[in-house]
Amino acid sequence: MTDELVNVSDLNQYAYCPRRYWYLHFYDTQGRSYERVEGKTTHENQSSRGDWLNELYLESETHGLKGKIDVLDLEGARTVPVERKRAESGDYYKSDELQLAGYCMLLEEHIEEQVREGAIYLYETDQRMHVPITEDHREAVRETVEAIQSMSLDSVPPFTDNPTKCEACSVREYCMPAETAKLEPERVAGTGWEDEL
Amino acid sequence: MKASEGLFDDSVVYVTTQGTQVRTDQGRITVYDVDGDDGELASFPAEKLDTLNVFGGVNFSTPFVRRANEHGIVLNYFTERGQYRGSFVPEKNTIAAVRRAQYALTDEEELAIARAMIAAKIRNARTLLGRKGVTGTELLEDLRLRASEADSKDELRGAEGEAAERYFGLLDEALVDGWTFETRTKRPPEDHINSLLSLTYVMMKNEVLSALRQYNLDPFLGVLHADRHGRPSLALDLQEEFRPLFCDSFVTRLVNRGTITHDEFTQDNHLQDDSFQTYLSKFDEYMTEKLTHPYFEYEVTRRKAVRQQAILLRKAITGELDDYHALEVTH
Repeated sequence: MTDELVNVSDLNQYAYCPRRYWYLHFYDTQGRSYERVEGKTTHENQSSRGDWLNELYLESETHGLKGKIDVLDLEGARTVPVERKRAESGDYYKSDELQLAGYCMLLEEHIEEQVREGAIYLYETDQRMHVPITEDHREAVRETVEAIQSMSLDSVPPFTDNPTKCEACSVREYCMPAETAKLEPERVAGTGWEDEL
Repeated sequence: MKASEGLFDDSVVYVTTQGTQVRTDQGRITVYDVDGDDGELASFPAEKLDTLNVFGGVNFSTPFVRRANEHGIVLNYFTERGQYRGSFVPEKNTIAAVRRAQYALTDEEELAIARAMIAAKIRNARTLLGRKGVTGTELLEDLRLRASEADSKDELRGAEGEAAERYFGLLDEALVDGWTFETRTKRPPEDHINSLLSLTYVMMKNEVLSALRQYNLDPFLGVLHADRHGRPSLALDLQEEFRPLFCDSFVTRLVNRGTITHDEFTQDNHLQDDSFQTYLSKFDEYMTEKLTHPYFEYEVTRRKAVRQQAILLRKAITGELDDYHALEVTH
């Protein structure tokens, strides 16, 4: 168990596939350290234009989280964090909601006001989708933070339950789910790769 | 110099043209002819490249080295003749956890990995001879079994040595008329075939070394070859399974197809400069040729197959897999 703050964007990575996150986190297998890029943005990068606030970096010991909100929409009575996404499918993923919930939790501690919704902006369709943040979202964030903090180098997470996620995954060449299924079938028992055998 | 296609194949680039400089230009890695007038000779996207092997009189610009560090590109230095001299390893490639696991291997674990490598080597030797129609290889099967059950490294080396002797004794029959293989000689190689074999082992060792570096394993700490100052023992270990399968079959192909003839050697059995260039481009072509993987059943280039073995080795070392699964081809 570590008390290191978890990057909000890592909630998303972890939700996509804990094993993929494990490789990126401990082995930097992808060859690029997205965390380093993420970490660069600090308070100094804040800029404000009209009713928009760009790139707000926040940390919370209470939630064990840190992260940078892309855009903060200050228009109207509510403050709405906006997360920009590239999604070729024209829709966002369930894991994007988790990330957004993380930002909402960070933000409400910062402004000492409840934040009940966030928004996801999709570049491809130029759409802004509002996402109500529920208690389920918050619980999922808390669980994921705990799961990430208790990860260790010695315990490799299992392969994903959903092998289609592997198709576009950048660490697949290293992770080798299908290859492992062939070489050591017992290693994929109970995962989505078992059915591929 | 040869740029190959595809993710893993573009990932290794050999720069052999003397008097060139490796630079960075708008996100691409370029090779520039500084001594001559040829200008830009080649260019590669930095994202795809993971290893750059340079031979002899080639230099780097400082911005290139910075970019190599950022992109995790490993630079290996070799003499013009391919002898390894050293590497530049990007800071993020130094993953302590992998090294720690490698250093913590017990004798038993090292032996288990080495057994798999040597058993595969002997199996592959038999497969190569079988493909060439050479008979009388049953003894190799016995030796393979002995290797796979060896209780000590010495016993394993013994089985390996006997198998090599038997195998090289039969290799002669795989060559076309006009080429003979008497006996394996190393320092110096006493004939043209031995010279080609030695050169090809060096080239393959470099491929393996690059693969190990890319996956953060320490190439100097072996599981079977004794550690000796300056000797990349782990690269030599991992190379074993590829020797008959990829190296010897490449050499037999070169001579059997007449790509390399006796006229192309110097007095001391080295390839002449032009022929050495031909050799290098043929070797790169060979490494990027595809084969159907014996276990995974999809098509891979030989280079990717080698890199996958480095990954499988790392997984065996870090405990992500129970055993090391050597590349063994049975027919």
